[in-house]
Amino acid sequence: MSAEIEELLKRYQNYPNVVGIIVLDPFAIPIKTTMDYTLTVHYAALISTLTFKAAKMVTNLDSSNELVNLRMRTLNHEVIVVPSESYIIIVIQKPGT
Amino acid sequence: MSAEVEELLKRFQALKNVIGIVVVDNDGIPIKTTLEYNLTLHYVALMQTLREKARQVVQDLDATNEFTFLRLRTLLHEVMLCPQDDYFIMVLQNPCD
Repeated sequence: MSAEIEELLKRYQNYPNVVGIIVLDPFAIPIKTTMDYTLTVHYAALISTLTFKAAKMVTNLDSSNELVNLRMRTLNHEVIVVPSESYIIIVIQKPGT
Repeated sequence: MSAEVEELLKRFQALKNVIGIVVVDNDGIPIKTTLEYNLTLHYVALMQTLREKARQVVQDLDATNEFTFLRLRTLLHEVMLCPQDDYFIMVLQNPCD
């Protein structure tokens, strides 16, 4: 699993607009990050609670449905979260060309 | 504001793949909807919470930043949430594969 994560990180880090990548374990503990630690922990805590809430909401609306991807656009960045069973990936990018 | 809302609804509804559109005012009351009423209320209740949570997350991370758009991709649909000053719009669509 670790090799898989390394490969993903390398691939995404090469995109010019990517500000940071955080990989969390299913308990929202950062296992890999390209940003500084305090910021990572801050993002991990807040974004993971938002994602869990969104995922719960989706299954609440329709029990056969599941959250695949969450994309949040703000004034300065775009945060993309992909939850899965073994890890949660958060990518922060500057939107635009 | 009502003419603005009508025009937006018409524009989005014309797009293929759009399942439904809900326009909600700041008090959480759906002012316009193309979905069935009970489903609308269900979506509004959950989206209201999620919107508030997303706003808090963004403010907490960076007080100068603001949450402008949220896109939830699920197995079956895609939900897009756009908050504005007086209202927020939620669009439910079948994403093209």
